[in-house]
Amino acid sequence: MEKNFQELESYSVPSSSNWFSWSNIHEVERFSLREFFDGSSITRSPRIYKEYRDFIISKYREDPSRKLTFTEVRKSLVGDVSILHKVFTFLEKWGLINFDVKRNNEGDNCNGNGKTTSVGGEEEEESWKGRVKLEEGAPYGVRVVAAPNSMKPVAQLPPPTSVSVDGGRGIGEVGHNGFKWPPLASYSDVFADLAQQEKKGLVCRSCKENCDSMHYEYTKEGSFILCEKCFKSGNYEENNSADDFKLINSGNQNNVWTEAETLHLLESVLKHGDDWDLVAQDVQTKSKMDCISKLMELPFGDRMLGSAQRKRKFLDLTGDVSNLKQGKLAFKESQESAKVEDPSHELKDEGQQNGYTDTEGQPPKRIRMEPTSNTTYLMNQVARISTAVGPHVTASAAEAAVTALCYENQCSREVFDEDNIFVDLKASAENIEQKRAAQGNLLDGDEGPKQSEIQGPSSEKDTIQINLRMRAATATALGAAAAHAKYLADQEERRMEQLMAIMIETQMKKLKRKMKYFDELELIMEKENAHIEELEESLVADRLNVLQRIFNAGISRWKDHASVKSETGSVQ
Amino acid sequence: MKSHSAWGTSKNLVKFRIPTSDNLVPIRLDIEIDGQRFRDAFTWNPSDPDSEVVVFAKRTVKDLKLPPAFVTQIAQSIQTQLTEFRSYEGQDMYIGERVVPIKLDLRVNHTIIKDHFLWELNNFESDPEEFARSFCKDMGIEDPEVGPAIAIAIREQLYEIAVQSVTSAKESRLSKKGRRAGEIFSASKTGGNAVDLVKLFGNKSSVIRKRKEWDVYEPFVDLLSNEEVEALKAREERNIR
Repeated sequence: MEKNFQELESYSVPSSSNWFSWSNIHEVERFSLREFFDGSSITRSPRIYKEYRDFIISKYREDPSRKLTFTEVRKSLVGDVSILHKVFTFLEKWGLINFDVKRNNEGDNCNGNGKTTSVGGEEEEESWKGRVKLEEGAPYGVRVVAAPNSMKPVAQLPPPTSVSVDGGRGIGEVGHNGFKWPPLASYSDVFADLAQQEKKGLVCRSCKENCDSMHYEYTKEGSFILCEKCFKSGNYEENNSADDFKLINSGNQNNVWTEAETLHLLESVLKHGDDWDLVAQDVQTKSKMDCISKLMELPFGDRMLGSAQRKRKFLDLTGDVSNLKQGKLAFKESQESAKVEDPSHELKDEGQQNGYTDTEGQPPKRIRMEPTSNTTYLMNQVARISTAVGPHVTASAAEAAVTALCYENQCSREVFDEDNIFVDLKASAENIEQKRAAQGNLLDGDEGPKQSEIQGPSSEKDTIQINLRMRAATATALGAAAAHAKYLADQEERRMEQLMAIMIETQMKKLKRKMKYFDELELIMEKENAHIEELEESLVADRLNVLQRIFNAGISRWKDHASVKSETGSVQ
Repeated sequence: MKSHSAWGTSKNLVKFRIPTSDNLVPIRLDIEIDGQRFRDAFTWNPSDPDSEVVVFAKRTVKDLKLPPAFVTQIAQSIQTQLTEFRSYEGQDMYIGERVVPIKLDLRVNHTIIKDHFLWELNNFESDPEEFARSFCKDMGIEDPEVGPAIAIAIREQLYEIAVQSVTSAKESRLSKKGRRAGEIFSASKTGGNAVDLVKLFGNKSSVIRKRKEWDVYEPFVDLLSNEEVEALKAREERNIR
């Protein structure tokens, strides 16, 4: 299996063929080429199939860029050419061979009747590509975003319906730590919300909230509306009675989701995953398409946690979309109040890229739809990321982003020229640098309002500008993040080089030591050698001396010779 | 869909047929009238009515602008070959587990093809046309006449082997008393030109050929120049005489 994994890593194989394993024969193979597995012949056994298969695949992988042909393969394999051809087309159809090769569908040379099986393989490949495209859609996004929150599944969150105006305080605490910035929202998300926002929701007179799904309209003089909640709690105002109100089950019901429905949706998505039919069944009141598009719009994370406490705090913000100035003020206030708590959060969430926050200052879910605050989040993201890189990098990233956007759309150039957002961004980057020096941890909390101040006036203008700003900000953030990554990588590399140098140095030392010992050894050997030579010389001298004495004693020479000879003979 | 029945089993005798997915008879024509020579090769479905033969002959003569004398000759030739084929039909033929080597050595116009491969007889799913098609595609052969020529060459060899196995099945039945004994006998006898299966596919040997054998089984394709073709034609003429 391990081998298989490595192989798959270095060779591209269609995802539909991920059953393939070098060591096993899969059911697909058993089914498609069953003549190998029914034991009908000695020429067709699983072992032989595996040999065929392994050979063909390895042959192809010798050079994956060229198309492996059947004729090329069959000369090296013993066996019926028809069955070999079948194995070959099977492997080709599943993309285990010839997958990288662009096949030009040349016409048949022979009879031209009927298509060759390789055409089927191409269709397979095409459908595979199609599937990949699909995965870029909504369901994929769900999985990605759900991951960071896996510690706290959405299903465990308090159902918003139970969060009454009075009782929500306690429950609101649950989301305290889990509160996160939204991930950089995709453009389509942002635009979809903007489009919806333009329709201006109906505002309840009593609680000043948007009444999305159902509301009650006062039928007598004047016209004001009450949201469902206020109506049920008997908050009719003045002397009106329940009878004076008419239930209006919003005309645009299809587009509007109650919190309960949204919760249903999230729960069933967790349960059923991508199976939208089942999800739609669970949600009941909405169609499949509605569910999908809603899920795409959702800001994920813990934004579903609209506790009453927060809601109240942001009544002004949510209630009056047009009065941005006021909203900004409120936001700023809350930001300031949040400052005190900020350091502790900072510590907790340090590790999480998107995890820094100030809980108090977070507007509830619906505020996200507001363009300005959205920009603010983005700006904060940019600020956070850019703190990691430094102002110059951020500035150049911003420049690049703006340039790219200008290329994309002529009108954006005008917007940028007019507003000089580039300068804004640059200034914000410098701003960040100052703040970082001065305030350390408090920076993030402080940066938000600054950014919103910058953004504030301009947001009263065209929404297009905001979109462009947001895109610019997103791009800037990404650029800055990339720069940071590069920086980190460089650092790593330097460190690696350093370690390498140390290692080499140590090795050198070791070798030098060894050399020294060898030198010493040589010296000793030389001494020994000299000593042995001396010994040898003295031995020769002794022998000469002995011989001399023998001659002097008068023993005949031949006798001596014979004795020596006999001696040697016996030895032999 | 593709059930086991598509494969002949080693124990049963099968009724005579060309051992491929389509039971098509290879027909070869070589007719010479008044110095005009007509040569062709194609497959014929034996279940087609015989009246088709004359229609086909007339059509061919008209299309190729041949003298009308050819019509009867062509029809006769086809009819004879069909009758010969039908004479085997209905007879038992023993194929068992046989893998036969097929050798190709033919010239089609300017292309020379030499090839050597193994063919399993009891695989009734095999398709010579499909094989020839992929051969031409893989080898980059553009001449549209090559593919059918290869397919027919394979069919002719299979036809011959099938005829042989009919006669050997007949012989073994006559010479031996019991059917079972006959089967064993024929198995060993028909194994004459077939490859040794145990040796090739047994547990000990690998089905991947030794490198030095690759050349033997490697297809060979060559394109000839006009002069070479003329020279070859002349040599063939001489050989016939």
